[in-house]
Amino acid sequence: MNFDINTIVYILEIIVGGLLVGIGVHFVPVGGAPAAMAQAAGIGTGTVQLAAGSGLTGLLAAGLMMSVTDNLWLILASGAVGAGIMMGSTMLTGSWIYAYAVGAPFASAKVNYDPITGFSQPPYVAPGTVGQGIPTVCFTSGLIGGMMGGLGGAMIYYPLYLINGNAALSAMFAIGIFLVNAVIASWNIQGTIEGFHDPKFKKWPFAFKACLIASVLLALASVLITGGA
Amino acid sequence: MDAFSMGLIAAMGALATVAGASEDIESDIGSQSNPNSQVQLAAQVGNPHRIYNKAISGEPPANALWAATAAIVAYTLITAFQMSALLALVAGASVAALFNGVLSMSAYFGRNSSQKRFNQWVYLDIIRYTTPSIMAHAWITSFCIATISYIMVYMLPTPHPFPMAVIALIWGLAVGAIGSSVGDIHYGGEREFQNRQFGCGLNTMLSGQIVRKAEAGLRNSIDNAWFCTKFGGPATGMGFGLTVFLDNWRTTVFDPVTQAPYAIAMGLFFIIVMVVYNNYIEKSARRKYGPYPEYKGDIAA
Repeated sequence: MNFDINTIVYILEIIVGGLLVGIGVHFVPVGGAPAAMAQAAGIGTGTVQLAAGSGLTGLLAAGLMMSVTDNLWLILASGAVGAGIMMGSTMLTGSWIYAYAVGAPFASAKVNYDPITGFSQPPYVAPGTVGQGIPTVCFTSGLIGGMMGGLGGAMIYYPLYLINGNAALSAMFAIGIFLVNAVIASWNIQGTIEGFHDPKFKKWPFAFKACLIASVLLALASVLITGGA
Repeated sequence: MDAFSMGLIAAMGALATVAGASEDIESDIGSQSNPNSQVQLAAQVGNPHRIYNKAISGEPPANALWAATAAIVAYTLITAFQMSALLALVAGASVAALFNGVLSMSAYFGRNSSQKRFNQWVYLDIIRYTTPSIMAHAWITSFCIATISYIMVYMLPTPHPFPMAVIALIWGLAVGAIGSSVGDIHYGGEREFQNRQFGCGLNTMLSGQIVRKAEAGLRNSIDNAWFCTKFGGPATGMGFGLTVFLDNWRTTVFDPVTQAPYAIAMGLFFIIVMVVYNNYIEKSARRKYGPYPEYKGDIAA
């Protein structure tokens, strides 16, 4: 392969994609195992799992769009919207369970008032728990995170496909780079976060640096390896 | 858009709904996901139980494995042996179910025998009649997802560029993520602590105190599946069905070659509707249930 200015642009795109995934994970309101027992606010699953589920759904949408056009903006938007739809329907159906099966009002224990709707939170936090359900602020934050993940996945996939022209190879590399960045971000937030209003969100610069290093290494490797295939 | 491709999209939505429901019930019978932390803890705090315990990994990677296995076997049979697609998909799902059975059983033996010091037994009758139910549900999930991948690659007017196995892997990850986020709350938040006060999450003090007695006799995982099929499973199905249907509907109704911006705008419209609907659920739950009487702070409800 020729290592020219285009290759550098491709590497930069992959790095930006990886960073978007890493920061996007911080927005996704995941409560881990406690949230599955309605013991903490957020979605009751693991950070990486949910980010991967939504971001890779976005990758499917971006891949479909890329097979018919080479307009970068359409591909990125398609990836973001695909991921947003997955994240939205997951949180919506999760809300049904919290509201109609567990029978609990939604509340976050990290803030006194919901920054978006202004609803008071502490009176609705069940005793012995740290909130439950998905309040509007968590829902919005989750959508932002999911869409950033989809955008990042599409941004990793786009240059790889331009280099090797092989959708399957590019998709596998995109999944790999996506998961590495999601796991690094997940360590940074120690597995649970409620969204951008959570105090843990302020730790994002650590993840930014770590994801930057990982993405640089992965971008170099993926550009070289897929270029040789 | 023509009637045939619209029918395919509808079929994909229906298959996804079934896949989501069966995925959630499979994880409830096997007690796989986050609520299993309580099942695992129960024996350690002095409550040995007869619940199946197979949390080998998170649900998304596990389901990605079953779905990708089914798709790879089906793809091989279709391309190398010219088998008919339906039979190949059935064979692929059967292989995936066998994988699932092996991993479930080894997880049950390993987890329960490692808790011998807490007086937790390995129940062979549980293995005998619960494992086939888990495998059956894994079969349904992997068959539906492999079929969705087949439709996306070979039948839709705009075929997807990814190979069948990669699409199945991604949908498997997605269905696992949705099952873990949606249906498992019904199992963990409600069914495992059914004898506690309704209308709130699990109080931290009660961790590990899961319900061990059933309507008749001792509770086992089949009883949990009976309960979770009433709401958790169908809700998971709706979540995954909506994801697959809405995501593909917008790129089928609007041709991605000429009307791509409309497809993206339609997706954004769906997302905004979801935000509004969630806000409605939040408001109605606050209005109907009210604040907790134990609250002693000075912030007004």
